[in-house]
Amino acid sequence: MFKPLDPLLHSELRLAVMSLLISVDEAEFPYIKQQTGATAGNLSVQLDKLATAGYIEVEKTFKGKKPCTLCRITPTGLKAFEDYVAALRSYLNISPEGDAKND
Amino acid sequence: MEEKQNMTAERSLEIIRDSIERSQRTINRNSAIPLIWWGLCVVVFSLFIAYLWKNHGGPVWNMLWAVLWLIGYAGNWIIDKRREGIPTTFVGKVIGHVWTTFGVLCCGVGMLLGFIGSGMLPMELIMPKVYIFGCITSIISLCFGMATTITGFTINNRVIQVCGLIAGIGGFFGALHFPGHAQLYVMAGVAAVGLIVPGLAILMQNQKKEEQTCSSH
Repeated sequence: MFKPLDPLLHSELRLAVMSLLISVDEAEFPYIKQQTGATAGNLSVQLDKLATAGYIEVEKTFKGKKPCTLCRITPTGLKAFEDYVAALRSYLNISPEGDAKND
Repeated sequence: MEEKQNMTAERSLEIIRDSIERSQRTINRNSAIPLIWWGLCVVVFSLFIAYLWKNHGGPVWNMLWAVLWLIGYAGNWIIDKRREGIPTTFVGKVIGHVWTTFGVLCCGVGMLLGFIGSGMLPMELIMPKVYIFGCITSIISLCFGMATTITGFTINNRVIQVCGLIAGIGGFFGALHFPGHAQLYVMAGVAAVGLIVPGLAILMQNQKKEEQTCSSH
């Protein structure tokens, strides 16, 4: 029985954002934009969706006089990401250790 | 990156892998620059102080090491300003803590020995009664090698691990063989092997991965 894939994460840009955020404490908006190659408008919309679902926290702050948007993953987001990867593994028939099952 | 929701499971895993690898490369590249900077500073200072020690008045020129910290931190501050916006990772933090600890320990021991050398502190206060063979260059080399080796294990880079062992063990015994100003040549070698080579190794490792990624797409 396949596990259902989280529709919020099953999107290229949102998945890329979550993948970036799992390995860092927090990331600034321009960094995420540069790494994903997304447009500012599209990225803002997708970040809002992730924030509304409670998967990430978005903090609007200032760096000197410049506005700065910081994004960080929440425990809910981390759990959702882990579940998503586990579901992907079940689709691809990969064990948690990373070995593909032959049977 | 477009908004696609009809992805295959393979494509999803590819996005996850690519995103993590690309971000990791950016972060690694930025952590290599301070290593190279500090390595160059130590090499230049070692050779400069060795020259002054040999030709212009003896070991008093070791006081110039205090200037290294000022120049080193000033350069580091500029590097940090230029890489603003690059996030920190757990690995980056560990490496930063290892090298900060190394810096504080070496600075502390160096300052105390400097105070003893200049007569500001009585030797008996630091090394009471028991004779201790204190070769500061050996001890610093050992710490240097240890910090480099830990960095190598943390980012899983065999070249850096080997460089750390060579710098630590080679520097420890090398400094014992070379008295006076010649110890600073050992120090320059240790900094080159322990900092500059690892920094360059990280940059080359990243470049290789980038080329592999480009050719696979």
